[in-house]
Amino acid sequence: MKLTIGYFYADLLNLYGDNGNVEILTARARSRGFDVAVCHIDQSTALTPELMQSINLVFMGGGPDSGQKLMYEDLINNKGSYLKDYINRGGVGLYVCGSYQLLGHYYKSADGSNLQGLGAFDLFTRHFGNKKPRCIGNVVATLCEQILADPVFKSVNKIGDTLVGFENHGGRTYLNKTLTPFAKVITGHGNNSEDGTEGVFYKNSIGTYFHGPILARNPHIADFLIAKALNEDTLKELDDGLILSAHIASKNLKQ
Amino acid sequence: MFYIILYLTKIFNLLIKTLRMGAGYTWPGHVALTLYPTLFSSTKLRFPKGIVFISGTNGKTTTAKLLTHFLNANGLKVTHNKTGANLVNGIASAILLDMNWRGNLTSDACVFEIDEFTLPFILQKFCPDFLLLLNLSRDQLDRYGEVDIIFDRWQDAFSHLPQKTVVLADSDQELFKQLGGNVIYFNSDSALLKKTRLHGTFNAKNVNAAFKVAKLLNLDLAKVEQSLTTFEVAYGRGELIKYGEQRFQVFLAKNPASFNHNLDIITAGNVVPEALLFVLNDNIPDGRDVSWIYDIDAKKLYEACKDKTIFVSGTRAQDMAIRLKYAGVSVDTANIFTNLKNALTRIPQLEVVVLPNYSAMLEVRKLLLGRSIL
Repeated sequence: MKLTIGYFYADLLNLYGDNGNVEILTARARSRGFDVAVCHIDQSTALTPELMQSINLVFMGGGPDSGQKLMYEDLINNKGSYLKDYINRGGVGLYVCGSYQLLGHYYKSADGSNLQGLGAFDLFTRHFGNKKPRCIGNVVATLCEQILADPVFKSVNKIGDTLVGFENHGGRTYLNKTLTPFAKVITGHGNNSEDGTEGVFYKNSIGTYFHGPILARNPHIADFLIAKALNEDTLKELDDGLILSAHIASKNLKQ
Repeated sequence: MFYIILYLTKIFNLLIKTLRMGAGYTWPGHVALTLYPTLFSSTKLRFPKGIVFISGTNGKTTTAKLLTHFLNANGLKVTHNKTGANLVNGIASAILLDMNWRGNLTSDACVFEIDEFTLPFILQKFCPDFLLLLNLSRDQLDRYGEVDIIFDRWQDAFSHLPQKTVVLADSDQELFKQLGGNVIYFNSDSALLKKTRLHGTFNAKNVNAAFKVAKLLNLDLAKVEQSLTTFEVAYGRGELIKYGEQRFQVFLAKNPASFNHNLDIITAGNVVPEALLFVLNDNIPDGRDVSWIYDIDAKKLYEACKDKTIFVSGTRAQDMAIRLKYAGVSVDTANIFTNLKNALTRIPQLEVVVLPNYSAMLEVRKLLLGRSIL
């Protein structure tokens, strides 16, 4: 089996070491003997149904405002319908920060202007300007029941039911009640610093505010994505002693 | 009031140094500016030969030291924030500490390195003759924000600069092409670099930038070139520390750009260590977020580590070890030490290169030299 990662806008959406997620997915899949190809998708890529069919894992990160301005039109006009279709078909994907926001209905800026999103996730994001501080700091959260109960996750999970990372976002995201948050915040802000939710888990897609990059100290999520993408029930266990101890140590970091 | 703060600063600084509480450059300035907020617009601030500010993400300390060295080689006295205290407080301290007890400055020129985030604040009060802009790249996103935001604030501040200020900027920096007005662009000069003990492309630019300012200051360039051979690197920036039989060479690696640059120096064989010690802290001066270690080029990391014994330390040693592991570098679990002292005492190799981030660099120096800064 071959893992083909569709890496969207690597050059423009590349804040906070998020490219590390692709590096980690690649390394962990290769350690199990799988072939890995990283398919870069940017403004110059002409997406086709065949190309999207060949991808079994999508990664998209967050970027500085300048980067997001450059890719926004292309995402909405040229890539959006493919991506939305991929997500709805149950395509496996990880969307961090800026891209997580863009997959919602809209992003409302402090000045009241609205940036239309893809509407793949039933959520919206608001930025309150100077009225509310940025959500910055170390985060610890408990994974949602849906993931914890998933047989594939149960089989690859050697870490536990927690998620650790770092967040840094000005926008605050609000999920429709019918949607499942990815995790529940123990310490930190999560989606909006109000309702204790963090990210979204929809079909086989994960939207999240976790940097770190998220997969560095959360190998259970990395393996869950790989196994799902490759339709495997389980994966060969790797020597993750060091990562487990970093994961545990992260729970005691100052926020 | 002026004399009260002058004496307070001097006494405060002496006390801090005597009690070995630090270099004594941050708190005295803080107190001085609280009591005397108009310090920077004081008529006492006169430097007949010129006022030079140096800012950017990487290379400030080295470039400021180079220019100070050039001025000294021309027999000129310089006020310079040599400890690297480059926020408003540090600059106030450097000025007050260089004044005599009558409150007069006897320096011919001043060279200040200024933190890129602080630069706009300083420019509101204190205008340089020469403003040297080295580079802007990601550094401490959780504290400073994106590079674009810093540059926008710079542009805002620069629009109020008087005619007399000459701006010099690196021609390779895409953002700097947007600088309006009269800008003198500079690039690297490897011939100048070769005369120093410095290495790498960043330093080839730093040397050239300092040289360009020296030229604009009408210094005797023969003396400047001659002085290149006697230039001693700034603390923690390629500094060689002998410790018993061992030699530790310390290269501050505090963001992806400076990290990659230092890895290039190792891979190019400019330094030939047997062991590499990575030290990663997440203290306030470093930024709490260590995600940036994944912006370090994985291939460069792998190449630089090849055939060397790897040690990892710092408050986030495990995170650094994981990053190395994903870059394909094997790290022996027994070589990971959260406690830096343990790491330093357990390294058997004689030739060691240390790659620490900011607070880690100070700790390394404290343990090997007995002092963090100068």
